[in-house]
Amino acid sequence: MHLFKVENLIYFYPDREKPALAEINLVIEEGEFLLVAGESGSGKSSLARALAGLLPDFYGGRFGGKIYFRDREMRKIDRRRLAREVGMVFQDPEKQMVMTGVEAEIAFGLENLGLPPAEMFRRTAEVLSFLDLGKLREEFTANLSGGEKQKLALAAVLAMHPQVLICDEPTSQLDPAAAEDFLNLLKRLNEEMGLTVVLIEQRLERCFHLADRVLLLESGRIVLDSPPEQVARRAGIKDIPFLPPVARLFSSLGQTYVPVTVKEGRKYLQHLLSGFPGENVRFLSDQNKTGGKPIREKKQGKKTLLEASSFAGNGGKPPLAEVKNLWFTYPGGKKVLENVSFSVNAGEFVVILGENGAGKSTLLKIMAGLLKPSRGNVFYAGRELTGSNGRCEGRGAPVAYLAQNPNDYLFHDTVEEELLFTLKNFGLADDGIVDELLTKLHIERYRRTNPRDLSSGERLRVALASVLVTRPGLILLDEPTRGVDTRLKGELGAFLRAQAKEGAGVVLVTHDAEFAAEYSSRIIVISAGRIAAAGNKHEILENSLFYCPQIGKLCRGFGNGILTFDEAVQWLEPLLRAGQTARTGGAPAGASE
Amino acid sequence: MRKFFYAEKGLFLQSLHPLAALAFLGTMLVLALAFSHPLYLAGIFLVAGVTVWTAEGLETWESYLKIGLVMMTLIVLINALMVHEGRTILWRGPLIPVFGRITISLEAIYYGLAMGVRLLNVISIFCLFNLIVHPDKIINLFSRFAGKSTLVIALAARMFPVMAQRYENIRAVQQIRGVDFSRGTLKEKVQKSSLLINSLILSSLEDSLEIAESMQARAFGSGPRSRYRRHRWQPRDTLCLAGSAVALGAGLAGLFHGFGAYTFYPQMGCLVDGPGTVAVLLIVLSGLLAPAILNWGWHRCTFLRLKI
Repeated sequence: MHLFKVENLIYFYPDREKPALAEINLVIEEGEFLLVAGESGSGKSSLARALAGLLPDFYGGRFGGKIYFRDREMRKIDRRRLAREVGMVFQDPEKQMVMTGVEAEIAFGLENLGLPPAEMFRRTAEVLSFLDLGKLREEFTANLSGGEKQKLALAAVLAMHPQVLICDEPTSQLDPAAAEDFLNLLKRLNEEMGLTVVLIEQRLERCFHLADRVLLLESGRIVLDSPPEQVARRAGIKDIPFLPPVARLFSSLGQTYVPVTVKEGRKYLQHLLSGFPGENVRFLSDQNKTGGKPIREKKQGKKTLLEASSFAGNGGKPPLAEVKNLWFTYPGGKKVLENVSFSVNAGEFVVILGENGAGKSTLLKIMAGLLKPSRGNVFYAGRELTGSNGRCEGRGAPVAYLAQNPNDYLFHDTVEEELLFTLKNFGLADDGIVDELLTKLHIERYRRTNPRDLSSGERLRVALASVLVTRPGLILLDEPTRGVDTRLKGELGAFLRAQAKEGAGVVLVTHDAEFAAEYSSRIIVISAGRIAAAGNKHEILENSLFYCPQIGKLCRGFGNGILTFDEAVQWLEPLLRAGQTARTGGAPAGASE
Repeated sequence: MRKFFYAEKGLFLQSLHPLAALAFLGTMLVLALAFSHPLYLAGIFLVAGVTVWTAEGLETWESYLKIGLVMMTLIVLINALMVHEGRTILWRGPLIPVFGRITISLEAIYYGLAMGVRLLNVISIFCLFNLIVHPDKIINLFSRFAGKSTLVIALAARMFPVMAQRYENIRAVQQIRGVDFSRGTLKEKVQKSSLLINSLILSSLEDSLEIAESMQARAFGSGPRSRYRRHRWQPRDTLCLAGSAVALGAGLAGLFHGFGAYTFYPQMGCLVDGPGTVAVLLIVLSGLLAPAILNWGWHRCTFLRLKI
């Protein structure tokens, strides 16, 4: 008996002509850990909702095909029974809390099931203890951190004793540590308690290896359904971007064996490079010095460290933006920033990393002129910021600020009106900037569409366009990569890099070390309101245990200074070719399975 | 903003059963509205202050009192200008059509002050409610009688801080997009605010759909609900309830016999017109002080801590 059996499932949301799910045929066995990947809008969430019995009952729309749960057609199963068997954790922890207190939130589902008080008390106590939430029992849900909120959402579902746990991008709003914590918990539930887990995720480097099976969706259809190792191997042929960086690297290098974790990758790399005894590979990222090409260097003994590329000077001009001895304390007495100083030059792409509550968002708000520093100053092109909305005396709008929630920007009937609204407020005429931005951000076809009808990724681009119409010198972005798929993240990174090339300064706050490694020119790490580290991305990320991207972790000790996918390919490709030649010439074998 | 909402501090007063806490606050409210005698009103204010202090909420109380004092000043001013029944005239102003001659009497000021204290009492009781009663406990208490209505209140209580935060965020975003909320005519300011509210409502409606979905996924509306009870009735609750009952009984009985009421017009009566006034006042205050006294004992007496 299969746990789930989906037959020819097709589903259209109300008033939509394109199906969200099409011809889905799928079997899920008891105790499986299934990972569902795919671009935004590929139907991942719709599939999750269908498996949780929310489609079409909650949303309406047209539904075809059958879903069987333990051989019974799902739509015929009593809703209360189904809720006992299948639990669902949603993307945003904020939007799934019902009660004000932690304990009441956990009890909410149990009350809905009509359980007797003694049973409810037992289950609540058990789940609080299991998830280590005991000390938060009396706490208000509003006072919890993002990670705690998501854990509470999981606790509220687990208390209902489901057999299946469906998680729709549960870590997209969490910082890396909380996300790791949450995913490990899922693995524990799967392995120790036999729960079937269906996990939908964008950032696969964290969970690819946890899955028994990976399902890849494209335009509402399943295009791949295999164990992770097989998906990784086939990805090289099919050019699938939804792979953790390690797997993507080996897959793109045409290796027959494709490791999926850093540990496996390092082992394999050691095996591949064993054909080069006593030799070390040095990689310089400074494109001016090497023309972007890796150089191999004979070196005895110690491994060479990357030479940190120095920042270009600013030709004696003042920096585009300068933060000097900045302190910030909230009226309640909570100190958030302590003596923060740094500058941003035109053409720079600065990424600010740091744990939740480190003061990153506050720093950005001060730079945007939305908060007044307690002490210290912010300067733009040598002039102090005096206005209340990112304006300097006598200037238009030198700063664009994209807050965490793009929805806060959208309240007009069309996308075009959103852009014109900002222009009007600043008394600027449309000199073609609206067309230019809509085209560059690939939202031209939505010009007359209501922005609230767009997907989250499209909304992000509309919000960004709405602040860029003033042609700002400095672009500040607060976690724009949160919950965004790989392709869109790439497009956003490339767009911002192009903006920097055109002369803007970009400052972006993120938790995404992979993104930082790929696109930034400089990194600032903030911890407890202070700058913990600042410098070239190679200097900072390479030596960081926590923020080092997967490729960096993979190459550490083998090819120092390598952080990004392209750098790794540039370094490894000639080596593997040389190894191949040596092997065919009778030299000791270097690589391959 | 956060100080206006309940925060769990592990206090004795926060451990009271919601029914006992509500009985205490309800008694205070009824008496504050029923008494007009300045001494009685001042006594209730004193009890409220002591209880707020034991609930470690002086800072919060201060914020509430600031608003209260502004309103109190307005009450005193308006009452003094509008009421002409007092005999002790302090100032005789010009003749104004419709209103007649403006006079300010000592009695009118005195009455305004007493009503101001009554307002401060009501505000302090509300402050105490926020300090010592967990909203979930109240919701839990009432869900027995009106399940769906209390759930709506629970959701509203949860959403209030979220909405306040979102309002701030949207305001910041509009500022960065060039909206200057401090400039323009009144009409323009209203227009700017309506855009802000529009954005807030749109986002809230979208969020509400997601919350509803989460509720549906957790079997809400799938049949009759049961009720999760966690709060047990303890001796401390009985003692607090007894204190409130004594205060309410003595207060109402006193009012029936003319204690607790006071004559302001045309001439002020005597503040203490006999031992009865003082006796009833003392009984009422002792009853209302029960939670604060128990809190004191709970901290200092091991026996009490173990037994109540």
